[in-house]
Amino acid sequence: MRPDRRKFIKQTICAALGGASVYSALGQLQLVQAATRASSYAFSDYKALVCVFLYGGNDSFNTIVPYTQSAYNAYYGSNGVRPKLAIPRANLLALSNTPTSGDGIQYALHPSLTGLQTLFNSGHAAIAANVGTLIEPTNQAQAWAAMNNNGGVALPPQLFSHADQAAYWQSSPPTNQPITGWGGRIADLVASANGGNAPILTSLNGQDAFMRGVDVNGYIMGTTGASVIDLGYPSRQTPFAALHSGTQEANALERTFASAVNHSTSTAGVINTAVASHDFSAFFPGANYDLAAQLQTVAQLIYAANANQNNSGANYGGLRRQVFFVNAGGYDTHSDELNVHGDPVNPGILDLLSRSLAGFYNALASVGLANVATAFTASDFGRTLTNNDNGTDHGWGGHHFVVGGAVQGGKFYGNGSGFASNLASPNFGLVMPSLANPTTPYGILSPNLNDPGDGYGRLIPTTSVDQYAATLAHWFLSGGGVDPTSDIGLIFPNLANFSPSANYDPTNGYLGFV
Amino acid sequence: MRTSRRLLFACGLAGIAAVGIPLAAVAALSHAPDPLFHDGMEGISAGPFTDSDASRFLAQATFGPTDTDITHLRSVGYTTWLADQFAAVPTHQMDYVNWASGTLGEQVGQGTRTEAWFLGALGGPDPKNNALIHTDQLRQRVAFALSEILVVSDQNTELGLNGATGMAYYYDILVDNAFGNYRTLLEKVTLSPAMGVYLNMMGNRRAVLAQNVHPDENYGREINQLFSIGLVMLNPDGTSKLSGGQPIATYTQSTITNFAHVLTGWNWKSCDTSGYDQFVGCYTPYNTPGDYTTPMVAYETKPANESGQAANYNYHDNGTHADDTHNKQLLTYSGAANGGVLADGGTATNDLKFALDNIYNHPNVGPFISKQLIQRLVTSNPSPAYVQRVATVFNANRASATQLKSVVQAILLDPEARYIGNIGTYGKLREPLLALTHLWRAMGARHACGQDVPFVPNQSQASYYANQPYRYAGYATAWSTGGTQYQGIAQAPLDANTVFNFFKPGFLPPGEMSTRGLLGPEFQLQTDSIIALSANTFDGFYISYDVSDVCDAGDVIGEVKIDHVPDYALAGGASGGPADALVDAYNHRFMAGQMSPFMRQTLLNDLNAFDNSSWGADWKTQRINRALYLIFTSPEYMVQK
Repeated sequence: MRPDRRKFIKQTICAALGGASVYSALGQLQLVQAATRASSYAFSDYKALVCVFLYGGNDSFNTIVPYTQSAYNAYYGSNGVRPKLAIPRANLLALSNTPTSGDGIQYALHPSLTGLQTLFNSGHAAIAANVGTLIEPTNQAQAWAAMNNNGGVALPPQLFSHADQAAYWQSSPPTNQPITGWGGRIADLVASANGGNAPILTSLNGQDAFMRGVDVNGYIMGTTGASVIDLGYPSRQTPFAALHSGTQEANALERTFASAVNHSTSTAGVINTAVASHDFSAFFPGANYDLAAQLQTVAQLIYAANANQNNSGANYGGLRRQVFFVNAGGYDTHSDELNVHGDPVNPGILDLLSRSLAGFYNALASVGLANVATAFTASDFGRTLTNNDNGTDHGWGGHHFVVGGAVQGGKFYGNGSGFASNLASPNFGLVMPSLANPTTPYGILSPNLNDPGDGYGRLIPTTSVDQYAATLAHWFLSGGGVDPTSDIGLIFPNLANFSPSANYDPTNGYLGFV
Repeated sequence: MRTSRRLLFACGLAGIAAVGIPLAAVAALSHAPDPLFHDGMEGISAGPFTDSDASRFLAQATFGPTDTDITHLRSVGYTTWLADQFAAVPTHQMDYVNWASGTLGEQVGQGTRTEAWFLGALGGPDPKNNALIHTDQLRQRVAFALSEILVVSDQNTELGLNGATGMAYYYDILVDNAFGNYRTLLEKVTLSPAMGVYLNMMGNRRAVLAQNVHPDENYGREINQLFSIGLVMLNPDGTSKLSGGQPIATYTQSTITNFAHVLTGWNWKSCDTSGYDQFVGCYTPYNTPGDYTTPMVAYETKPANESGQAANYNYHDNGTHADDTHNKQLLTYSGAANGGVLADGGTATNDLKFALDNIYNHPNVGPFISKQLIQRLVTSNPSPAYVQRVATVFNANRASATQLKSVVQAILLDPEARYIGNIGTYGKLREPLLALTHLWRAMGARHACGQDVPFVPNQSQASYYANQPYRYAGYATAWSTGGTQYQGIAQAPLDANTVFNFFKPGFLPPGEMSTRGLLGPEFQLQTDSIIALSANTFDGFYISYDVSDVCDAGDVIGEVKIDHVPDYALAGGASGGPADALVDAYNHRFMAGQMSPFMRQTLLNDLNAFDNSSWGADWKTQRINRALYLIFTSPEYMVQK
């Protein structure tokens, strides 16, 4: 009888904490720090982790596509998996000719991604292939059995549901109602290592699960800076403060609202000073309260943090680690996908993505800060490999970009385990249609395993969000005088389900792209 | 102590109140409202027994109490008030939209639809016929609550560009069925073009495997996840059923896939299939949408003059084609008709009815919908017993055409709505949009300024905003309430970023409430930025504007502005004097008499300083503005109790 892995992990962590549940373990990170190490993190350098969340589920299978002619034909040909979404091969942006999966296919980017092509080919962007939410490694038979309530593996709850999968990507706990996001948990780990009064966990567009820490509250601001409650008249300050104590109110909701108001006020001044510290608008032409504007503001905040981190009197004195969250919507391309993605004549959401990420890298590089920030994409899910009428439905695994000076770019990364193991090495889990049978791509979830072309084309991820996030967390937490491995295991509880492989080494940088 | 202070003021010992109380003494004052005493001898429905009772009820049942409303409710009582409201003539957005386009010749946009919404939310005279007074507050409030469950939004590109009329038509479905039957409401929502566009049922078609075409699952998923049963099995009291300590899923992925296959074959009525096959090309976003004010129709019969195979024109998956799903297994639960299996061979209409019945008859629907309606009207954390009392009414009226009328009445007359249980955890954070409608209703807001601009070909669109006190338009006010989360109060009707509304019903605010497991859905919208933007918008626009301000010569549209003048008598004496009357009046009008002694004294300490010598001739306006600002940004106001 196969042991229940979740129970095993629960018991392990429980043992470490003397009996607390795994969920309270996440809320007692400081206890664990105290219990397992003599000292906390102490960083001398500055790093910023930037999550670029694409709401709706990006169709990465039309973002990164096979370029080798025979593979291109199998993909987009009339007998291929997505003939209705074909991009003319002549318009594709070829990636440097590096063998990727075991079948040696060259890949290319969507025509709008010129900035990302440059970054990839110059070694500053990497692609993590077929990443998705997994509790444990899952192959086709196991997934199908589990989806029909016939046991097998544990699956993340509510696959293909936007809110749940977006929340799972951002929080990665084994629960339906995330209390913390992994951006927040990482921020919790470094909170005591940061000096200054600037937020260490900042969103440039709205609040979501990623931003939720136990001790650290995420700071939400806009692209033009923080908004400040205007209490311009000196005498309005006194009654306003009296009415927002945050502790004296008789009702919990009142206390919570008062605290929210005070939080807004106290950090707004700090933020606005930082945003004004530098002007990177030359690297973001056309930015307009959108993803590009968000990343421009992040770059300016990073500039301020670096310019002042050794100034002990300033709000940024001692600031060493920051987490940022930016996002864009419109990726839920059930219909009209080619138009929504856009092309060089009529730019769409992919053009915005590419120039935003390229602008971000180039802006920081211009002031010698290319290595301090790593930006990575994330999304609710990938989409179906097969098309519906002129779009795609919700999928599961998808490809993602990682951008930054510290990134080991120009390559594909991924665990490549599970169903793709029958491909020759090196295999990163890029799933291509079988050249012998184009309508049955590897790993496609099909209701009838023997019936080619009857599935929806949802690719089972070959790399889990945990493995992807752990790689980023490892970079972020390194350099603090502490081996972050055990902390990474704590904030990604399901990581222990994934064994080391040729492309994944928890003792040496995890997936290794940064 | 608290009561005796109240008696001092009531006895007119204003001299004592005029002396500023030292801060230390202020701090010692209670932060809790005085308890609302009831003798409990008469039943709830014989009330309200105090102005506070009445005001609390109106905060739950309208878009914000006014002095007149409170007095009226006191005089007629809950029972008559409710009966009047159930009988009140519904306000329809389409009436306003058709008047603006047909009579005035204006181009209909999201601004038009927003004006129509404010007309229903604020009530009062109709712009096209001032003698017609809109009074259907409860119906409009329930429709607004439904719009936060059955979500469509102009943040969808197609709806935003072309769907304003369709969204007005959609909102009228919610209005017309707010006191009706939920099953009927579900069907009308399902077949509305706005919803068809928003969640992709429009033009959804049966699988054609040779072209790798599969039905889209968006609507099949959301109608279950958000509009009816939710993700986990519920007890009748709204708590989650558990198995081995874990929640139980209501459906599997294959269930959703099967629903997707059922919900096929529907399209604009105006798709022309008599010429050549236009079902597939009929829905073309951003170009030429069909008629948004006619329900979708099923395309399953080959038109007589068509060449080609009949089978090629039937877009509904009824299990009879090779690529169809046969004998679709929908939701399973005890008592599900045919075990939840939709047999092959049906029509699109009958298959849709089977699917909707299958959803509606699931035991989750009662508690799932009842709890959310309680959260939208009364309190964020209803007791399971409260939820169960309301869900019982929902279920007892499943076949009734007045089901939701009974449900709404049960919600509002429940002891847990009429009495505050635990003052420490009761209530709900007011939504920014509802705080705005309260301010505008209670302060006599009207549209002012604006001009008439007749249509000139190639130059301008018609717009008629001169002398239109009941057209609630304005760039800085009515039209700027939504948009992105960077302006105004970041909330507008049918304007949420996603189908999950502005906030999720299960949101736990970080900090104390999360630790204690206290839900606070509306907190999800109150981000650091929105808190600041909302406060500044209230300050600079909603409160500071006055309806008698001199108009800007270049202002074509005008703005919605409040009326300060009626409150001048309350604001103080000839050149100053104590602010007690104003504070007490605003406590009555805005806070159901629940302002704590601490807050009251804090306001007095500040407002008493406003007088002629320190502020000049318009000191009364400044005192009123200060009072409104401090109240509308205060935790005690913002938490509706």
